[in-house]
Amino acid sequence: MRRKRGGALAAIAMAGVLALAGCGASDDGGDSGGASGELKIGLAYDIGGRGDQSFNDSAARGLDKAKDEFSIEATELEASQGETDAQKEDRLRQLAEGGYNPIIAVGFAYAGPLGKVATDFPEVKFAIVDDFTPGTDDGPNIANLTFAEEQGSFLVGVAAALKSKTDSVGFVGGVNTPLIQKFEAGYTAGVKAVTPDATVQVKYLTQPPDYSGFNDPAKGETAANGMLDADADVIYAAAGGSGSGVFRAAKEKGAMGIGVDSDQYNLPSLNDVKDVIITSMVKSVDLAVYDFIKSVDGDSFKAGNTVYDLSDGGVQYATSGGKIEDIKPQLEEYKQKIISGEIEVPSTT
Amino acid sequence: MTASGLAVGVQDTVAPSRRRRSPMIYFALAVAALVVVSLVRVLTGAGNLTSSGTVAAALTAAVPIALAGLAGLWSERAGVINIGLEGMMVLGTFGAGLFGYQYGPWVGIVAGVALGAVGGLIHAVATVTFGVDHIISGVAITLAAPGLTLFLAKLYFTDAPGGGQKQSPPIEDVPHVSIPGLSTLLGDIEQLQWFFVSDLAGLLRGLTTDVSLLTVVALVLFVATAYALWRTAFGLRLRSCGEAPFAAESLGVNVYKYKYAAITMSGALAGLGGAILAVASSQFRDGQTGGRGYIGLASMIFGNWRPGGVAAGAGLFGYTDAMQLRGEGAVHALLLLLGIALLVLAVVQLRGKRYAVASVATVIGVLFIVWFALSDQVPPELVSAAPYVVTLLVLSLAAQRLRVPKWIGRTYRRGEGG
Repeated sequence: MRRKRGGALAAIAMAGVLALAGCGASDDGGDSGGASGELKIGLAYDIGGRGDQSFNDSAARGLDKAKDEFSIEATELEASQGETDAQKEDRLRQLAEGGYNPIIAVGFAYAGPLGKVATDFPEVKFAIVDDFTPGTDDGPNIANLTFAEEQGSFLVGVAAALKSKTDSVGFVGGVNTPLIQKFEAGYTAGVKAVTPDATVQVKYLTQPPDYSGFNDPAKGETAANGMLDADADVIYAAAGGSGSGVFRAAKEKGAMGIGVDSDQYNLPSLNDVKDVIITSMVKSVDLAVYDFIKSVDGDSFKAGNTVYDLSDGGVQYATSGGKIEDIKPQLEEYKQKIISGEIEVPSTT
Repeated sequence: MTASGLAVGVQDTVAPSRRRRSPMIYFALAVAALVVVSLVRVLTGAGNLTSSGTVAAALTAAVPIALAGLAGLWSERAGVINIGLEGMMVLGTFGAGLFGYQYGPWVGIVAGVALGAVGGLIHAVATVTFGVDHIISGVAITLAAPGLTLFLAKLYFTDAPGGGQKQSPPIEDVPHVSIPGLSTLLGDIEQLQWFFVSDLAGLLRGLTTDVSLLTVVALVLFVATAYALWRTAFGLRLRSCGEAPFAAESLGVNVYKYKYAAITMSGALAGLGGAILAVASSQFRDGQTGGRGYIGLASMIFGNWRPGGVAAGAGLFGYTDAMQLRGEGAVHALLLLLGIALLVLAVVQLRGKRYAVASVATVIGVLFIVWFALSDQVPPELVSAAPYVVTLLVLSLAAQRLRVPKWIGRTYRRGEGG
């Protein structure tokens, strides 16, 4: 009796694995070959994958949009919690050997592994989202798709400073990585541009290689409560899934929150706390992924770094909910100054 | 049962004279500790050391860890290592997510407990009935649980309103209670920032204001466990299975039955810990347990397989974690606090004639105080490590007489005793 139950569970688990494997492989985009033939796209997500309602989902949207327009066969693979670089390398190699071209790696964690695989497959075109080291050349078959997160963060920092009554604001980062530090740098600069003597409280939930800080709402809530108790009244949550905890803390104490990556006011999962989300720093990974696929489809692949910033809508601030309607003129003014180069936003703290 | 059945566990109990004294000693220790903390707060100005906000956050953070530790205690007292706690917690978070968003938090909690118990039952079948190595079975459960829940989450949450492939729709929270009137009074006293008095007020206010009913449930379970395992015939027999199963068998105890009961209870408690975490986070998320099961296991070991020790370990971890999350300034003050605590420990160990431990504690303690004196802040990269460092240092140097249940990790077969 007990034994049977164990067996049934094992069977369910097994079926799950098979079903998932099935999902990934059977997404073909139809038989009708386009003008440039059918593209076989391999997409490797970072932890979270399709369904994280944030960064990875945005990449998935870009792929889906491209699927509608071009003739595409795609395989999507995803990183697991706590895996090593070797596993990431295997994943990319598997795609390359499977004849996928181009291959898109979503997330800076793929930087090292991608470099190795790309040299072994010079014929395959690669793209990596969120990774580029200035002054380096990753190779003729790698496109770096990066974002000026500091510019978007600057604007939400301006919004935070304008909305704050206590002149004290907070920044909750998920994991202390150079990427998230870019958000912090821009945000702090934006706050100080409006109120030079404002206090910016900064907290990163975890340190790498512990990436659980992107996925732990309980920690986000504790950190936010600490900031709110120390007089902050606007908190920017650059912390992925932990952001919901930050917003809940803000709601309980009657404070304000700022979302990240997507327009979080409109996320169904945040419906009960959305009235505290005054704006979000939207990062259009979908745009970058779509553009990249389009460039490969049209034989106009360009290696090297492409930065998506305020000028092309790669980063922007969200206005859903109408909470920043009154300060929009100021925000637009700062936005124009950044685009014109009058204000240069720092990308490191 | 018979009186002889009761006699099994007697040798293992501590001399009664020492135990009768202990409540007073613990009380005195607590007061002394608070005086030291209060002193450090005044010296460093780090209000977060004893603010009611920190204490409340510590309590919330400690509860899932404490329950995981308690779960480990049930299993290990019956002689079975349960390293699958993390997996059983994951099952609990999922149960709470799936049923919590549809039928309310309490149903979700019950479902989380039930799913955790199923995980425990699987562990029992593998280790007790089939004699599988305890570690292997536990690791298998820890590896399988996230995969299974992720698959089920895709199935059930993808199209649910507000859900996603890796997260459940929002779950409502359970009611929070405060002791009426006390909160404002204590809050006023806390604001005064008097030495000791305000710290005590902050501590009490954190413990009595806006406390989740689930925290109360956890507290009751600790008392109930201490009673059930150390004050009833059932508990004596259960612990005898973890110490000397063949002796228990010879006295008519059905060892298999007790082990099954203990491990299932262990799974249920771990599931409850996970369910509470999910409800406190307002949703199930893939990977949200973040190693809390293992920390619970560690607090159980350093808590010497006793409920009070588990609670102390989990509380210490929760306190430090809450403090470092709430503000990094307090962590610098923590250096001084930790240094003093280690020196006190050294004195205690010196009186017990454990010179090696005393000297290690002294050296580390002095180093921490020097570090405190020479720096203005702890590098943020090290701040997140504070809970681990503090809990490990304090517990490992304080608890020098750990006693593992004798039959732990070994297979028992009826009738094969020498």
